[in-house]
Amino acid sequence: VRVVVADDSVILREGLARLLVEADFEVAGQAANARELLEQVEAEQPDVAIVDIRMPPTHTDEGLQAAREIRAEHPGVAILVLSQDVQPEYALELLADGTEGVGYLLKDRVSDLQELTTSVRRVGEGGSVLDPSVVAQLVGRPRRGDNPLDELTEREREVLELIAQGRSNKAIGERLFITEHTVEKHVKNIFAKLRLAPSDDDHRRVLAVLTFLSA
Amino acid sequence: MAPTRAVLWTTAVLALGAGAVVAALVLTGYSDEAVPLALLGLVSGWSFVGSGLVAWARRPENRIGPMLILAGFTWFLAGLQFSDISAVFTAGALRENVFIVVVAWLLLAFPNGDLGRSRLCRTMVVVGFIDVIGVAAVHMSFDDFGGGSPGAEGPQNLLLVGADDTFAAIALGVQRGVGITLSVLTIVIVVYRWLTASPPMRRAIATVLAAGAATFAALAVSSANDATGQPLGELQPFVWLVFATVPWAFLAGLMRVRLARTAVAELVVELGAPDAQGGLRGALARALDDPSLEVAYWLPGHERYVDVDGRAFELPVESEERTVTFVEREGRRIAALIHDPALREDHGLLDSVCAAAALALENARLQADLKARLEELRASRARIVEAAEAERQRIERNLHDGTQQRLVSIAMTLGLAESKLAGDRETVGPIVDEAREALAAALEELRELSRGIHPGILRERGLRPALRQLAYRAGVPVELDVVFDDRLPEQTEATAYYVVSESLANVAKYAHATAVRVKVGQTDGRAIVEVADDGVGGADGTRGTGLRGLRDRVEAIGGQFSLASPPGRGTIVRAEIPCA
Repeated sequence: VRVVVADDSVILREGLARLLVEADFEVAGQAANARELLEQVEAEQPDVAIVDIRMPPTHTDEGLQAAREIRAEHPGVAILVLSQDVQPEYALELLADGTEGVGYLLKDRVSDLQELTTSVRRVGEGGSVLDPSVVAQLVGRPRRGDNPLDELTEREREVLELIAQGRSNKAIGERLFITEHTVEKHVKNIFAKLRLAPSDDDHRRVLAVLTFLSA
Repeated sequence: MAPTRAVLWTTAVLALGAGAVVAALVLTGYSDEAVPLALLGLVSGWSFVGSGLVAWARRPENRIGPMLILAGFTWFLAGLQFSDISAVFTAGALRENVFIVVVAWLLLAFPNGDLGRSRLCRTMVVVGFIDVIGVAAVHMSFDDFGGGSPGAEGPQNLLLVGADDTFAAIALGVQRGVGITLSVLTIVIVVYRWLTASPPMRRAIATVLAAGAATFAALAVSSANDATGQPLGELQPFVWLVFATVPWAFLAGLMRVRLARTAVAELVVELGAPDAQGGLRGALARALDDPSLEVAYWLPGHERYVDVDGRAFELPVESEERTVTFVEREGRRIAALIHDPALREDHGLLDSVCAAAALALENARLQADLKARLEELRASRARIVEAAEAERQRIERNLHDGTQQRLVSIAMTLGLAESKLAGDRETVGPIVDEAREALAAALEELRELSRGIHPGILRERGLRPALRQLAYRAGVPVELDVVFDDRLPEQTEATAYYVVSESLANVAKYAHATAVRVKVGQTDGRAIVEVADDGVGGADGTRGTGLRGLRDRVEAIGGQFSLASPPGRGTIVRAEIPCA
C-alpha cells in the first residue's frame, strides 16, 4: 500500500514514515503543509494520504480542508486524518460527505502499530475509521428525555460502538470473541431498538449510526 | 484706559453747556423753525454724548464710547449753522456734515471700536473727512448761500472768495456725489456684516446697525432730494429725526448687554437646581446666549481635557468661529469654554458667568475626572483580559507544538520498539503496555488542559460548533439554541464561550440538574448568552472564583453579567457581551 504522510512536525512525520515502512507500507512522499500534500497526492496518486489536521500556515483545520479537496479531485485516494484532540464536530464533518475511504484517528494511536496499520489498510480498502474516543463521546453524551440507547444491553452497546468505529461484522466478531453470526443478531437488535432501517451495506450502516448518535 | 469719574462728569457738563449754547444760538438765529430745530438738536446731541459716556464707562477698552461722545459734539457744531452770527454760521456750515462722517466711522467700527484691517473702511473714513471739510470749503468759497448781495438778511459766509453759481454747483455736486456714494457703501458693508455675522454677534449689533443703516438710507435719499431740487420737499428735520435714533439704538444695544447681566443671576438660580435642562452646559449656553457652547474639563494629572463623560477632548484651534476661554478657580485651571468669539465682546458677561459657574464647573470636573478614571480602568481591565487571552492561546500553541508532539513521538517510538520485540514478548510486552497507558493518560490530561485554555474550534468554526462540542462532554443533557450563524468578534466569541463552559462546569459540579438550556442571541450589537438549568439553585455569585471570574471577564469588556439562583428553582446565568 502506497501512502503520503503530511505533518508539520518533522519528528512525527519522519517517525510515522519509519513506522509505516517497518510495517511494509511504501511511503511515496512526505509533506509539511497542505499545499505540499496536494502536490504529492497529485504527483504520486497514493492509496492513502495520512494528514495532520493542524498544519501551517494557520494551524487550524488545514488538514480537513485538504482532505475535502483530495476527496473531490482524487476520489481514488483514501484519507486518514490524525488529530491531537478529540473533536467530534470535525470527525462528523469529515465523515458527513461519505464514509468510503475516510478515517479520523487520534494521534495517540501511533503507539499501537497494529492498530495504526489496520486503520490505514481499512481506509485504503475503502472502509471507514472513527477513533474510539470520539465514538465513546458520541455514545456517552447525555441526552434529554427517553434515551433509546438505554434499552441496549452492555454487549449491544459494545457492538454499536464498534460499528460506529467503522468495523465490519467479521472484525467485530474477532474483537469480541464471538461468531459473525452472533454479531449479525446483535446488529439486527440494535437497529430495531434504535428504530433504524436495517442495512447490509457497511457504509450506510455507519452513516445511520453516526446520524443517530450525533442527532 | 478707563476714564475717571472726573473726566466723565466734565464731559457731561461740557455737553450740557455746548447744547445750551447751540440751542441759544439756534433760537436767536434766522431759522423759521428754530424751536423744533433746537429741541431736536438737543435731544440728538445729548443722546450721543450720554450713551457715549455710558459706553465709555462700561467698556473702557472699546473706542465706541469716546466716538459717540465725539459724534455728539460734532452734532452741536453742525447746529451752529443756524446762528445769525456770521463767524459762527460759517464754522457751522463748514462742519455741517462732519457729524455724518463720524457716525459712518462709528458704524464701520462697530462693535470693536476700530476699523481693523479693512483698508476699504479706512479709505472711506478718510475720503469722508476730506469730502466734508476740504470739498465743503471749496464749495463755500463760491457759494454765498443767497446772502451774497450787500444788505441781504442773515449771516454772511466769511469763507466766500467770490460768488460763482457754476463753481458752487460743481463743488456741491462733488461733495454730495461723494457723500451719497460713501453712504451707500456704508449701508452695503453694514448689511453684509449683519448677514455674515454669527447669531450672538447678530443679536449684539442688530439694533445699532439697523438704526445706522436707516440713517444712511435717509441721508442718501435726502441728498438725492436736495440735488434734484427737492421734489420731496424739505427733508432736513426728517433726517435729523432719524439721526436721533442712532444713539437710542446704541443705548438699546447697551441695555441688551445689561439684560444679559440678569442672565448671570438666572444662571446662578439654575445652577442650584439639580437637573437643569441640558445640564451645566445647557445652563451656560443659555446664560451666554451661545447654543454652540462646549465645555471641556481639565485633568491636572493627565495634562489633558475631557468632556463631561470623561472622554478625551481636543481644544479647537483659535479661529473666527471658535475661541476658548479658560476658567480658573483659586488659581487652578478647571475648565475651558469653547464658544463663539462674539462673546468676547462683552468681557464682563463672560467673566461673571465663569465666576458664577466656577464651583459647578469644578464639581463637574471632578465627575468627569472620575468618569475618565473609570474609563481608564475599564480599558485596562479589557487589556488585561485581552493579554490573558493572548497568553492562553500562546500556551495552548506551545503545548500543542511542543509537549504533545514529543509525547506522541515517544508513543511512536514505543510502538516501533514493540514491533521489534521478538522472543521477549512475554516479559517485555506488559511493560510496554504499561508505558503506553501512562502516555495515553498524559496525553489525555494535556488535551483536557489545552481544551480549557483555548478551544481551537472556537476560532476555526465559531460559537455554534464550539458550543455543540462543549455539550458533548457536559455531563448533563444540553439543549443548544444559537440563533445566529455569523461570526462575532473574537473577543465576544471567546467571552461567550467562556460563560457557557464555566456555567456548564458549575452545573455539572453543583446543580444536580437534569437538563440545561443554552441560548445565544443577538440584540442591538450585543450577544446575549443565557445558561439555565433545572437544578437546586442557591448559587452565590459573590463567593467562589468561578462565578466571580465570569462576572469580571464579562464586565471587563463592557458587558453585563447577572445571576438568578433562587434555592430549589434552578440557576440562570445571563451575560450581555458587546460585539465590538
